[in-house]
Amino acid sequence: MRRGKKKDLLTPTTFCLLHAVDFADRLTYQIVPPLKAGMIVLADRYVYTAFARDVARGVDPGWVRDVYSFAPRPDLTLYFRVPIETSLERLLTGRTKLKYHEAGMDLGLATDPVESFRVFQSRVLDTYDDVTREFGLPVIDAAADIPTQQRMMREIVQEMLHEYEGDGAHR
Amino acid sequence: MARIAERLGPNWFGRGIPYVKRGPLPGHLIVIEGTDGVGRSTQIQLLSPWLELEGYAVSNTGWTRSPLLADTINEAKAGHELTTTTFSLLYAADFADRLEHQILPALRAGFIVIADRYMYTAFARNTVMGVDPAWTRALFGMAIVPDLVIYLQTDVERLIPRVFDGKGMDYWESGMHLALGSDLYDSFVRYQGELIAEYDRLAEEFGFVVVDARDSIDTIQEQLRACVAGHLSKARAASAPPASAAPASRRRRAGVRSSRRS
Repeated sequence: MRRGKKKDLLTPTTFCLLHAVDFADRLTYQIVPPLKAGMIVLADRYVYTAFARDVARGVDPGWVRDVYSFAPRPDLTLYFRVPIETSLERLLTGRTKLKYHEAGMDLGLATDPVESFRVFQSRVLDTYDDVTREFGLPVIDAAADIPTQQRMMREIVQEMLHEYEGDGAHR
Repeated sequence: MARIAERLGPNWFGRGIPYVKRGPLPGHLIVIEGTDGVGRSTQIQLLSPWLELEGYAVSNTGWTRSPLLADTINEAKAGHELTTTTFSLLYAADFADRLEHQILPALRAGFIVIADRYMYTAFARNTVMGVDPAWTRALFGMAIVPDLVIYLQTDVERLIPRVFDGKGMDYWESGMHLALGSDLYDSFVRYQGELIAEYDRLAEEFGFVVVDARDSIDTIQEQLRACVAGHLSKARAASAPPASAAPASRRRRAGVRSSRRS
Protein backbone atom coordinates (compact mmCIF):
# COMPACT_ATOMS: atom_id res chain seq x y z
CA MET A 1 0.00 0.00 0.00
CA ARG A 2 2.88 2.38 0.77
CA ARG A 3 4.18 1.83 -2.75
CA GLY A 4 0.87 2.88 -4.32
CA LYS A 5 0.50 5.91 -2.09
CA LYS A 6 3.98 7.19 -2.72
CA LYS A 7 3.63 7.17 -6.49
CA ASP A 8 0.27 8.95 -6.26
CA LEU A 9 -1.17 6.14 -8.35
CA LEU A 10 -4.23 5.50 -6.26
CA THR A 11 -7.70 6.47 -7.39
CA PRO A 12 -10.43 6.87 -4.73
CA THR A 13 -11.64 3.37 -5.66
CA THR A 14 -8.27 1.60 -5.38
CA PHE A 15 -7.50 3.65 -2.24
CA CYS A 16 -10.73 2.31 -0.73
CA LEU A 17 -10.08 -1.31 -1.77
CA LEU A 18 -6.50 -1.36 -0.49
CA HIS A 19 -7.59 -0.01 2.89
CA ALA A 20 -10.26 -2.72 2.90
CA VAL A 21 -7.52 -5.33 2.31
CA ASP A 22 -5.61 -3.98 5.29
CA PHE A 23 -8.77 -3.94 7.41
CA ALA A 24 -9.77 -7.49 6.41
CA ASP A 25 -6.29 -8.68 7.31
CA ARG A 26 -6.43 -7.06 10.78
CA LEU A 27 -9.94 -8.43 11.25
CA THR A 28 -8.78 -11.98 10.53
CA TYR A 29 -5.56 -11.96 12.53
CA GLN A 30 -6.08 -9.36 15.28
CA ILE A 31 -9.76 -8.77 15.92
CA VAL A 32 -11.77 -11.97 15.48
CA PRO A 33 -9.51 -14.44 17.38
CA PRO A 34 -9.40 -12.40 20.65
CA LEU A 35 -13.15 -11.78 20.39
CA LYS A 36 -13.74 -15.51 20.12
CA ALA A 37 -11.55 -15.96 23.19
CA GLY A 38 -13.86 -13.60 25.09
CA MET A 39 -11.51 -10.62 25.19
CA ILE A 40 -12.28 -6.94 24.74
CA VAL A 41 -10.88 -5.48 21.52
CA LEU A 42 -10.33 -1.72 21.31
CA ALA A 43 -10.20 -0.53 17.71
CA ASP A 44 -8.80 2.90 16.88
CA ARG A 45 -11.00 3.55 13.81
CA TYR A 46 -13.22 0.97 12.14
CA VAL A 47 -15.33 0.72 8.99
CA TYR A 48 -17.00 4.06 9.76
CA THR A 49 -13.73 5.82 8.95
CA ALA A 50 -13.89 4.33 5.46
CA PHE A 51 -17.55 5.30 5.12
CA ALA A 52 -16.67 8.94 5.89
CA ARG A 53 -13.27 9.24 4.19
CA ASP A 54 -13.95 7.25 1.01
CA VAL A 55 -17.33 8.88 0.39
CA ALA A 56 -15.67 12.29 0.86
CA ARG A 57 -13.19 11.14 -1.83
CA GLY A 58 -16.09 10.43 -4.19
CA VAL A 59 -16.90 6.69 -4.08
CA ASP A 60 -20.52 5.56 -3.93
CA PRO A 61 -21.82 5.42 -0.30
CA GLY A 62 -23.72 2.19 -0.91
CA TRP A 63 -20.76 0.54 -2.60
CA VAL A 64 -18.32 1.20 0.25
CA ARG A 65 -20.87 -0.28 2.69
CA ASP A 66 -21.15 -3.34 0.41
CA VAL A 67 -17.36 -3.68 0.29
CA TYR A 68 -17.16 -3.73 4.12
CA SER A 69 -20.22 -5.90 4.66
CA PHE A 70 -17.94 -8.78 5.80
CA ALA A 71 -17.10 -6.78 8.97
CA PRO A 72 -18.95 -7.60 12.20
CA ARG A 73 -20.95 -4.75 13.76
CA PRO A 74 -19.06 -3.51 16.86
CA ASP A 75 -20.72 -3.78 20.27
CA LEU A 76 -19.99 -0.12 20.87
CA THR A 77 -18.67 2.66 18.67
CA LEU A 78 -17.78 6.09 20.02
CA TYR A 79 -17.34 9.02 17.67
CA PHE A 80 -15.04 11.79 18.85
CA ARG A 81 -16.30 14.88 17.10
CA VAL A 82 -14.01 17.85 16.67
CA PRO A 83 -14.45 21.16 14.83
CA ILE A 84 -12.29 21.55 11.73
CA GLU A 85 -10.22 24.39 13.24
CA THR A 86 -9.32 22.32 16.31
CA SER A 87 -8.40 19.35 14.13
CA LEU A 88 -6.20 21.51 11.91
CA GLU A 89 -4.53 23.20 14.89
CA ARG A 90 -3.75 19.87 16.59
CA LEU A 91 -2.32 18.28 13.47
CA LEU A 92 -0.22 21.30 12.53
CA THR A 93 1.36 21.65 15.97
CA GLY A 94 1.83 17.91 16.39
CA ARG A 95 3.99 17.42 13.33
CA THR A 96 5.57 19.56 10.67
CA LYS A 97 3.86 18.21 7.55
CA LEU A 98 0.35 17.09 6.69
CA LYS A 99 0.18 13.71 5.02
CA TYR A 100 -0.60 13.82 1.31
CA HIS A 101 -3.78 11.71 1.34
CA GLU A 102 -4.92 13.00 4.73
CA ALA A 103 -4.93 16.48 3.21
CA GLY A 104 -6.83 15.15 0.18
CA MET A 105 -4.07 16.45 -2.09
CA ASP A 106 -4.86 13.71 -4.61
CA LEU A 107 -8.29 15.25 -5.20
CA GLY A 108 -6.94 18.54 -6.55
CA LEU A 109 -9.08 20.66 -4.20
CA ALA A 110 -6.34 23.22 -3.57
CA THR A 111 -2.63 23.52 -4.28
CA ASP A 112 -1.81 24.63 -0.73
CA PRO A 113 -1.72 21.59 1.60
CA VAL A 114 -3.24 23.44 4.56
CA GLU A 115 -6.10 24.79 2.46
CA SER A 116 -6.62 21.40 0.84
CA PHE A 117 -6.69 19.79 4.28
CA ARG A 118 -9.30 22.29 5.46
CA VAL A 119 -11.57 21.69 2.46
CA PHE A 120 -11.15 17.90 2.40
CA GLN A 121 -11.39 17.30 6.16
CA SER A 122 -14.48 19.55 6.36
CA ARG A 123 -16.03 17.27 3.81
CA VAL A 124 -14.94 14.21 5.83
CA LEU A 125 -16.41 15.68 9.03
CA ASP A 126 -19.73 16.37 7.30
CA THR A 127 -19.82 12.79 6.05
CA TYR A 128 -18.99 11.53 9.58
CA ASP A 129 -22.07 13.40 10.85
CA ASP A 130 -24.19 11.51 8.30
CA VAL A 131 -22.59 8.23 9.37
CA THR A 132 -23.14 8.81 13.12
CA ARG A 133 -26.82 9.55 12.40
CA GLU A 134 -27.22 6.52 10.14
CA PHE A 135 -25.70 4.08 12.66
CA GLY A 136 -26.81 5.90 15.83
CA LEU A 137 -23.25 6.26 17.14
CA PRO A 138 -22.77 8.05 20.49
CA VAL A 139 -20.84 11.30 19.99
CA ILE A 140 -18.20 12.60 22.39
CA ASP A 141 -17.22 16.25 22.23
CA ALA A 142 -13.52 16.00 21.46
CA ALA A 143 -13.05 19.74 21.87
CA ALA A 144 -13.56 19.28 25.63
CA ASP A 145 -10.56 18.71 27.94
CA ILE A 146 -9.14 15.22 28.10
CA PRO A 147 -10.32 14.28 31.65
CA THR A 148 -13.90 15.24 30.70
CA GLN A 149 -13.76 13.14 27.53
CA GLN A 150 -12.29 10.23 29.46
CA ARG A 151 -15.03 10.44 32.13
CA MET A 152 -17.73 10.34 29.46
CA MET A 153 -16.09 7.46 27.64
CA ARG A 154 -15.71 5.39 30.85
CA GLU A 155 -19.34 5.94 31.76
CA ILE A 156 -20.54 4.66 28.41
CA VAL A 157 -18.13 1.73 28.37
CA GLN A 158 -18.98 0.72 31.97
CA GLU A 159 -22.68 0.86 31.21
CA MET A 160 -22.13 -1.38 28.22
CA LEU A 161 -19.90 -3.83 30.11
CA HIS A 162 -21.95 -4.16 33.29
CA GLU A 163 -22.69 -7.81 32.58
CA TYR A 164 -19.28 -8.66 31.17
CA GLU A 165 -17.39 -11.27 33.18
CA GLY A 166 -13.92 -11.10 31.77
CA ASP A 167 -11.51 -13.12 33.87
CA GLY A 168 -8.50 -11.08 34.88
CA ALA A 169 -6.14 -13.34 32.95
CA HIS A 170 -7.23 -11.84 29.65
CA ARG A 171 -6.49 -8.22 30.44
CA MET B 1 -32.92 4.31 -27.13
CA ALA B 2 -31.13 2.00 -24.73
CA ARG B 3 -28.29 1.80 -27.18
CA ILE B 4 -27.95 5.60 -27.27
CA ALA B 5 -28.06 5.81 -23.48
CA GLU B 6 -25.26 3.26 -23.28
CA ARG B 7 -23.10 5.24 -25.61
CA LEU B 8 -23.47 8.36 -23.47
CA GLY B 9 -21.57 6.89 -20.56
CA PRO B 10 -20.45 3.82 -18.68
CA ASN B 11 -23.01 1.05 -18.36
CA TRP B 12 -22.21 0.12 -14.75
CA PHE B 13 -22.63 -3.42 -13.52
CA GLY B 14 -23.74 -2.16 -10.09
CA ARG B 15 -23.43 1.08 -8.18
CA GLY B 16 -20.61 2.33 -10.38
CA ILE B 17 -17.99 4.99 -9.74
CA PRO B 18 -19.68 8.40 -9.25
CA TYR B 19 -16.59 10.51 -9.97
CA VAL B 20 -15.84 8.91 -13.34
CA LYS B 21 -16.66 11.48 -16.01
CA ARG B 22 -19.68 10.92 -18.20
CA GLY B 23 -19.55 11.09 -21.95
CA PRO B 24 -19.62 8.60 -24.79
CA LEU B 25 -17.52 5.43 -24.84
CA PRO B 26 -17.24 4.74 -28.57
CA GLY B 27 -14.94 1.74 -28.06
CA HIS B 28 -15.89 -1.89 -27.45
CA LEU B 29 -15.07 -4.04 -24.45
CA ILE B 30 -14.67 -7.67 -25.47
CA VAL B 31 -14.02 -10.24 -22.76
CA ILE B 32 -12.55 -13.70 -23.24
CA GLU B 33 -13.38 -15.94 -20.28
CA GLY B 34 -12.55 -19.53 -19.51
CA THR B 35 -10.68 -21.59 -16.96
CA ASP B 36 -6.90 -21.96 -16.52
CA GLY B 37 -5.06 -23.47 -19.51
CA VAL B 38 -8.06 -23.37 -21.84
CA GLY B 39 -6.14 -21.39 -24.50
CA ARG B 40 -7.32 -17.83 -23.88
CA SER B 41 -3.94 -16.16 -24.42
CA THR B 42 -3.22 -18.15 -27.61
CA GLN B 43 -6.54 -17.04 -29.04
CA ILE B 44 -6.08 -13.41 -27.99
CA GLN B 45 -2.61 -13.36 -29.59
CA LEU B 46 -4.29 -14.31 -32.87
CA LEU B 47 -7.33 -12.09 -32.47
CA SER B 48 -5.56 -8.78 -31.68
CA PRO B 49 -3.40 -8.51 -34.83
CA TRP B 50 -6.38 -9.52 -36.97
CA LEU B 51 -8.45 -6.68 -35.53
CA GLU B 52 -5.57 -4.27 -36.10
CA LEU B 53 -5.35 -5.36 -39.74
CA GLU B 54 -9.08 -4.73 -39.97
CA GLY B 55 -8.32 -1.15 -38.99
CA TYR B 56 -9.21 -1.12 -35.29
CA ALA B 57 -7.05 0.19 -32.46
CA VAL B 58 -6.70 -2.61 -29.92
CA SER B 59 -5.78 -2.51 -26.24
CA ASN B 60 -5.15 -5.68 -24.26
CA THR B 61 -5.72 -6.12 -20.56
CA GLY B 62 -5.57 -9.16 -18.31
CA TRP B 63 -6.38 -10.36 -14.81
CA THR B 64 -3.77 -9.23 -12.19
CA ARG B 65 -1.82 -7.26 -14.75
CA SER B 66 -2.15 -3.80 -13.16
CA PRO B 67 1.14 -2.00 -12.52
CA LEU B 68 -0.21 -1.11 -9.08
CA LEU B 69 -0.88 -4.60 -7.79
CA ALA B 70 0.58 -7.35 -9.96
CA ASP B 71 3.69 -7.62 -7.77
CA THR B 72 1.77 -7.32 -4.51
CA ILE B 73 -0.60 -10.13 -5.47
CA ASN B 74 2.25 -12.41 -6.51
CA GLU B 75 4.17 -11.70 -3.30
CA ALA B 76 1.08 -12.31 -1.21
CA LYS B 77 0.40 -15.59 -3.02
CA ALA B 78 3.95 -16.70 -2.29
CA GLY B 79 3.46 -15.92 1.39
CA HIS B 80 0.15 -17.83 1.66
CA GLU B 81 -1.13 -15.26 4.18
CA LEU B 82 -4.26 -14.31 2.32
CA THR B 83 -7.83 -15.15 3.24
CA THR B 84 -10.58 -15.43 0.65
CA THR B 85 -11.68 -11.93 1.65
CA THR B 86 -8.28 -10.24 1.25
CA PHE B 87 -7.73 -12.18 -1.97
CA SER B 88 -11.03 -10.92 -3.40
CA LEU B 89 -10.32 -7.34 -2.38
CA LEU B 90 -6.83 -7.40 -3.94
CA TYR B 91 -8.23 -8.75 -7.20
CA ALA B 92 -10.91 -6.07 -7.11
CA ALA B 93 -8.25 -3.38 -6.55
CA ASP B 94 -6.20 -4.72 -9.46
CA PHE B 95 -9.34 -4.72 -11.59
CA ALA B 96 -10.35 -1.17 -10.58
CA ASP B 97 -6.85 0.11 -11.32
CA ARG B 98 -6.95 -1.32 -14.84
CA LEU B 99 -10.54 -0.15 -15.33
CA GLU B 100 -9.82 3.47 -14.43
CA HIS B 101 -6.33 3.81 -15.90
CA GLN B 102 -6.58 1.61 -18.97
CA ILE B 103 -9.99 0.24 -19.95
CA LEU B 104 -12.14 3.39 -19.63
CA PRO B 105 -9.59 5.73 -21.29
CA ALA B 106 -9.19 3.25 -24.17
CA LEU B 107 -12.95 2.91 -24.62
CA ARG B 108 -13.29 6.70 -24.54
CA ALA B 109 -10.70 6.89 -27.33
CA GLY B 110 -12.60 4.35 -29.42
CA PHE B 111 -10.32 1.34 -28.90
CA ILE B 112 -11.39 -2.26 -28.88
CA VAL B 113 -10.34 -3.49 -25.46
CA ILE B 114 -9.74 -7.22 -25.24
CA ALA B 115 -9.83 -8.43 -21.65
CA ASP B 116 -8.22 -11.77 -20.84
CA ARG B 117 -10.64 -12.67 -18.00
CA TYR B 118 -13.00 -10.22 -16.33
CA MET B 119 -15.10 -10.04 -13.14
CA TYR B 120 -16.71 -13.40 -14.00
CA THR B 121 -13.42 -15.09 -13.08
CA ALA B 122 -13.80 -13.68 -9.56
CA PHE B 123 -17.45 -14.77 -9.50
CA ALA B 124 -16.54 -18.35 -10.44
CA ARG B 125 -13.51 -18.68 -8.16
CA ASN B 126 -15.17 -17.05 -5.15
CA THR B 127 -18.22 -19.25 -5.37
CA VAL B 128 -15.99 -22.35 -5.47
CA MET B 129 -14.02 -20.99 -2.50
CA GLY B 130 -17.22 -20.49 -0.52
CA VAL B 131 -17.35 -16.68 -0.59
CA ASP B 132 -20.85 -15.18 -0.58
CA PRO B 133 -21.69 -14.64 -4.29
CA ALA B 134 -23.82 -11.58 -3.47
CA TRP B 135 -20.81 -9.91 -1.83
CA THR B 136 -18.53 -10.64 -4.80
CA ARG B 137 -21.06 -9.14 -7.17
CA ALA B 138 -21.54 -6.05 -5.03
CA LEU B 139 -17.75 -5.65 -4.84
CA PHE B 140 -17.59 -5.55 -8.64
CA GLY B 141 -20.47 -3.06 -8.75
CA MET B 142 -17.78 -0.58 -9.86
CA ALA B 143 -17.24 -2.57 -13.10
CA ILE B 144 -18.75 -1.76 -16.47
CA VAL B 145 -20.76 -4.36 -18.35
CA PRO B 146 -18.76 -5.67 -21.34
CA ASP B 147 -20.17 -5.38 -24.87
CA LEU B 148 -19.40 -9.02 -25.57
CA VAL B 149 -18.27 -11.97 -23.43
CA ILE B 150 -16.90 -15.03 -25.23
CA TYR B 151 -16.54 -18.11 -23.04
CA LEU B 152 -14.03 -20.76 -24.08
CA GLN B 153 -15.71 -23.88 -22.76
CA THR B 154 -13.95 -27.15 -22.10
CA ASP B 155 -14.14 -30.09 -19.68
CA VAL B 156 -11.61 -31.41 -17.20
CA GLU B 157 -10.72 -34.47 -19.34
CA ARG B 158 -9.64 -32.23 -22.23
CA LEU B 159 -7.98 -29.73 -19.92
CA ILE B 160 -5.57 -32.24 -18.33
CA PRO B 161 -3.44 -33.02 -21.44
CA ARG B 162 -3.29 -29.28 -22.25
CA VAL B 163 -1.92 -28.51 -18.80
CA PHE B 164 0.75 -31.22 -19.07
CA ASP B 165 1.71 -29.90 -22.53
CA GLY B 166 2.15 -26.49 -20.94
CA LYS B 167 3.73 -25.67 -17.60
CA GLY B 168 2.22 -28.57 -15.66
CA MET B 169 -0.16 -28.46 -12.70
CA ASP B 170 0.51 -25.62 -10.31
CA TYR B 171 -0.52 -25.09 -6.70
CA TRP B 172 -3.21 -22.45 -7.31
CA GLU B 173 -4.70 -23.80 -10.53
CA SER B 174 -5.05 -27.14 -8.77
CA GLY B 175 -6.93 -25.50 -5.92
CA MET B 176 -4.45 -26.79 -3.34
CA HIS B 177 -5.23 -23.69 -1.23
CA LEU B 178 -8.67 -25.17 -0.65
CA ALA B 179 -7.07 -28.21 1.01
CA LEU B 180 -9.32 -30.60 -0.89
CA GLY B 181 -6.68 -33.29 -0.48
CA SER B 182 -2.91 -33.77 -0.59
CA ASP B 183 -2.88 -35.23 -4.10
CA LEU B 184 -2.24 -32.51 -6.70
CA TYR B 185 -3.90 -34.41 -9.54
CA ASP B 186 -7.07 -35.27 -7.60
CA SER B 187 -7.31 -31.73 -6.30
CA PHE B 188 -6.88 -30.34 -9.83
CA VAL B 189 -9.64 -32.55 -11.20
CA ARG B 190 -12.03 -31.62 -8.43
CA TYR B 191 -11.23 -27.87 -8.33
CA GLN B 192 -11.25 -27.34 -12.11
CA GLY B 193 -14.41 -29.43 -12.39
CA GLU B 194 -16.16 -27.17 -9.91
CA LEU B 195 -14.80 -24.03 -11.60
CA ILE B 196 -15.99 -25.15 -15.04
CA ALA B 197 -19.44 -26.01 -13.65
CA GLU B 198 -19.60 -22.51 -12.17
CA TYR B 199 -18.47 -20.86 -15.43
CA ASP B 200 -21.17 -22.86 -17.25
CA ARG B 201 -23.76 -21.51 -14.83
CA LEU B 202 -22.48 -17.94 -15.26
CA ALA B 203 -22.61 -18.37 -19.04
CA GLU B 204 -26.35 -18.88 -18.80
CA GLU B 205 -26.92 -16.15 -16.25
CA PHE B 206 -24.99 -13.48 -18.17
CA GLY B 207 -25.55 -14.70 -21.73
CA PHE B 208 -21.94 -15.46 -22.69
CA VAL B 209 -21.28 -16.54 -26.26
CA VAL B 210 -20.05 -20.10 -25.78
CA VAL B 211 -17.23 -21.40 -28.00
CA ASP B 212 -16.15 -25.02 -27.79
CA ALA B 213 -12.49 -24.84 -26.71
CA ARG B 214 -11.92 -28.54 -27.51
CA ASP B 215 -11.74 -27.75 -31.24
CA SER B 216 -8.49 -26.92 -33.05
CA ILE B 217 -6.88 -23.52 -32.52
CA ASP B 218 -7.81 -22.45 -36.06
CA THR B 219 -11.44 -23.51 -35.72
CA ILE B 220 -11.78 -21.65 -32.42
CA GLN B 221 -10.13 -18.57 -33.90
CA GLU B 222 -12.52 -18.60 -36.85
CA GLN B 223 -15.46 -18.67 -34.47
CA LEU B 224 -14.03 -15.86 -32.35
CA ARG B 225 -13.52 -13.68 -35.42
CA ALA B 226 -17.01 -14.37 -36.72
CA CYS B 227 -18.46 -13.55 -33.34
CA VAL B 228 -16.46 -10.31 -32.92
CA ALA B 229 -17.17 -9.23 -36.51
CA GLY B 230 -20.87 -9.89 -35.94
CA HIS B 231 -20.86 -7.73 -32.84
CA LEU B 232 -18.96 -4.90 -34.53
CA SER B 233 -21.24 -4.77 -37.56
CA LYS B 234 -24.32 -4.82 -35.32
CA ALA B 235 -22.86 -1.96 -33.27
CA ARG B 236 -22.07 -0.03 -36.47
CA ALA B 237 -25.61 -0.49 -37.72
CA ALA B 238 -27.04 0.65 -34.37
CA SER B 239 -24.95 3.81 -34.23
CA ALA B 240 -25.43 4.81 -37.90
CA PRO B 241 -28.27 7.33 -38.25
CA PRO B 242 -31.19 6.18 -40.41
CA ALA B 243 -31.09 8.10 -43.74
CA SER B 244 -34.57 9.65 -43.33
CA ALA B 245 -33.80 11.09 -39.89
CA ALA B 246 -30.56 12.85 -40.76
CA PRO B 247 -31.34 16.31 -39.34
CA ALA B 248 -32.56 14.90 -36.02
CA SER B 249 -29.51 12.71 -35.69
CA ARG B 250 -27.21 15.65 -36.39
CA ARG B 251 -28.85 17.49 -33.52
CA ARG B 252 -28.39 14.45 -31.34
CA ARG B 253 -24.71 14.20 -32.13
CA ALA B 254 -24.26 17.90 -31.40
CA GLY B 255 -25.89 17.26 -28.04
CA VAL B 256 -23.47 14.46 -27.31
CA ARG B 257 -20.52 16.66 -28.12
CA SER B 258 -21.65 19.44 -25.81
CA SER B 259 -22.26 17.03 -22.96
CA ARG B 260 -18.74 15.73 -23.34
CA ARG B 261 -17.32 19.21 -22.95
CA SER B 262 -19.24 19.92 -19.72
